[in-house]
Amino acid sequence: MTLAVYDLWAFVSENWRELLDGLVNTIKVSLVAIAGSFVIGLVLGAARARRIPVVSQLTVGYVEIIRNTPILVQIFMIFFALPQAGIRLDAFTVAWVSVTLWGGAFNSENFRAGFEAVPKRYEEGALALGFSSLGTFLNVTLPIGGRIALPSSINTYISVVKNTSLMYVIGYPELTTTAINIANLTLETLEALTVIGIVYLALVWSLSAAIRVLEGRLALPESR
Amino acid sequence: MPDWAEPVIRYILQVGLPATLRVSAISVVGATVVGIVLGTLLTLDSVVARILTRGYVEVFRGLPILVTVFMVYFGLPALNPELEFGPLTATAIALILWGSAQVAEATRGAVQSIPREQHEAAAALGFGWVGRHRSVILPQALRRLLPPLVSLLVNIIQNSTLAAVIGGIELLQAGKAQTERLTFYPPAGIGEIHAFEIFGFVALLFFLISFPLTRLAAYLERRLV
Repeated sequence: MTLAVYDLWAFVSENWRELLDGLVNTIKVSLVAIAGSFVIGLVLGAARARRIPVVSQLTVGYVEIIRNTPILVQIFMIFFALPQAGIRLDAFTVAWVSVTLWGGAFNSENFRAGFEAVPKRYEEGALALGFSSLGTFLNVTLPIGGRIALPSSINTYISVVKNTSLMYVIGYPELTTTAINIANLTLETLEALTVIGIVYLALVWSLSAAIRVLEGRLALPESR
Repeated sequence: MPDWAEPVIRYILQVGLPATLRVSAISVVGATVVGIVLGTLLTLDSVVARILTRGYVEVFRGLPILVTVFMVYFGLPALNPELEFGPLTATAIALILWGSAQVAEATRGAVQSIPREQHEAAAALGFGWVGRHRSVILPQALRRLLPPLVSLLVNIIQNSTLAAVIGGIELLQAGKAQTERLTFYPPAGIGEIHAFEIFGFVALLFFLISFPLTRLAAYLERRLV
């Protein structure tokens, strides 16, 4: 066996187009899924905190199913089992749908906790001032509870970004799939792993840094 | 129940389930032991120890676990042919690397939540650093560590499915193998697709294992904190 020489620079300069396409796909799926899980989390979290009948119970079921089954099983369900029911989705759709469903479930818990942490007296005050129930939510519960929920929801978005790597199993050409496929052709395994390791750490660490900055900026005046 | 179901269920329960449980058990024990040691190192005054441990924790918490699995399964043998592991072992190693980083962070929090006076009182009684931690600090910190450790167990059980990506036969891969077998023509299969039922069954098994544990974690959180 001839040992290949470790040459990270050669690997990157020869394959940067494909790797960049992979990174773009990772970011594309991540952004769609982050936006989707933000909306799902906000709506269902509010429904849970407000104890809206039916929606609240359905949300509990949804959250428990997502939390207590592996995301890989969920991806297999959507990719391999849905076609049996005649629903055939392309790889990009499977990618963003599965991480959105996953992130939305966790995010609804983040927002529920945030909304429930808003002191009751604030909401009572708003109602006493003549705000409607929706007005109270939009003007009082959302701005305060949303800020409380922000750090934990960014943590969920970080997990969403990391989970896009699982799209390797459905062959969606995001960063991990792209890099491993190149390595399978060129045998530059270590270079490929180095590249994806560095890129994921850069993505995750910058998001974590964003949490810390936001935590300082958005801290409620009382807790400062 | 249709005829095809019985051998499928038997294979999943007899081959897949034990593998999932074995990988999870090894990983959670390994992650706990390594993590508590690393977490204690994070509370040291030594800057070098803190920086090294912090680097380990941030790297393995930051990487997607699948990437860590690939590093162990593909990367280590490329470095040294002797470091070649089977898919289940490679997954367990990756889960220990990831899990120990999680435990280390939780341990640091738990140890630092023990009041300074406890350290000082133990020191005043003549305990050295090791004795102080073994007899006074860690026994108290472990109580606070229990809820995150149960959550870790749930996460490790679920993430043991990553072995399926590199061909390790655990619950999910056992289900996938049976789904594929059924699509073959007789005698091997029946020429039908039953992905929905089989992956649904796999999901149900994971739910039955995880749900009581997540309840337990939530209960311990309320009781012990």
